Amino acid sequence: MHELYLVESVLNIVQDYAVKQEFKKVNSIVLSFGRLSCIDPKSLQFAFEVQAKETPAENAALQFKILPAVIHCFSCGRDLELDIYEGTCPRCKGEEVMLVGGTEELQIIEMDVD
Amino acid sequence: MKVTVVKNVLAANDRIAAENRALFDKNGVYVINLMSSPGAGKTTLVEKTILALQNRYRIAVIEGDIQDTYDADRIAALNIPVVQINTGGACHIDGNMIRESLPAFDLALIDLLICENVGNLVCPAEFKIGENAKVMILSAPEGADKPAKYPLIFQESSVMVINKIDLFPYVDFDLAKAKRDALSINKELQIFEVSCKTGAGLDDWIKWLTDRIDDFKKPRV
Ligand SMILES: Nc1nc2c(ncn2[C@@H]2O[C@H](COP(=O)(O)OP(=O)(O)OP(=O)(O)O)[C@@H](O)[C@H]2O)c(=O)[nH]1
Ligand SMILES: [Mg+2]
Ligand SMILES: [Zn+2]
Ligand SMILES: [Zn+2]
Repeated sequence: MHELYLVESVLNIVQDYAVKQEFKKVNSIVLSFGRLSCIDPKSLQFAFEVQAKETPAENAALQFKILPAVIHCFSCGRDLELDIYEGTCPRCKGEEVMLVGGTEELQIIEMDVD
Repeated sequence: MKVTVVKNVLAANDRIAAENRALFDKNGVYVINLMSSPGAGKTTLVEKTILALQNRYRIAVIEGDIQDTYDADRIAALNIPVVQINTGGACHIDGNMIRESLPAFDLALIDLLICENVGNLVCPAEFKIGENAKVMILSAPEGADKPAKYPLIFQESSVMVINKIDLFPYVDFDLAKAKRDALSINKELQIFEVSCKTGAGLDDWIKWLTDRIDDFKKPRV
């Protein structure tokens, strides 16, 4: 559901840049966010297709850079990338862990424009 | 042509939130952004907090319900200034909604402003409103897996109130796991175990809040 609001903000930023840098058309946009930030790429894509109509970003391709969830485990001393965070270390089952990556907020990294 | 941007998508909201914050600072208003799933006990905690503190501070409330005014009516019944934000179906309140609701208050006459967010564990955590502290409630029936599933809200919050502890005998809530996982995401998190029904544990929450407000209001030299 929040994808709608995030896309609205993406389009506002694109619009600002379109005015400042005088481009008419956006070919692609690279976005990044953490795997655990509850952002669904499919919903983002869908919301974008609907809301980008009649803007410079209409038909632009979205590329997602999804940053991994990373924990540090105090039991085995490792840093591990995970798909799902369950509060434990998948390697040693240790419960003394710290989440160190994966909740990064949505960013626009770059655009390809004409 | 490539254009490098590297910009937080919600930067515009962050800017409005910072403007709200400046206004609150100027008027000495301590602001709480209260978040949880639907029904975890936000309005009940607001009511209990008002009853405990209304002789000590001038309190106002913003209610961010999706549509009805039930929650606002409950607060108004306590003779507290309250504004119901029309979120227009939005699943969170944002900086601009707060800004637009402020003219309804005389900020100079408020010490504590409590903003009850829309019931949701995802989006409210993303949108700053100009708060001093984000406070989130996890209620026992929701289960102890919520911190691991929705880490952002636990990371962003200063306080986790574990509510409905009177229901521990009836629900399988792994308290140790909930606390451990929440702290693995945010080691600064303050945790209070309360029942808004029986009143158990509320004193510690009230003490924490009182300390924050008094510290905030202390004249700076
Ligand atoms: N048993 C028990 N029930 C509680 C407690 N706190 C709140 N409730 C009940 O939980 C229900 C929901 O409480 P509310 O305070 O309305 O929850 P809310 O988070 O404001 O709900 P929304 O605004 O709809 O998201 C009500 O029926 C409350 O009476 C508690 O500590 N124990
Ligand atoms: Mg409520
Ligand atoms: Zn949402
Ligand atoms: Zn390990």
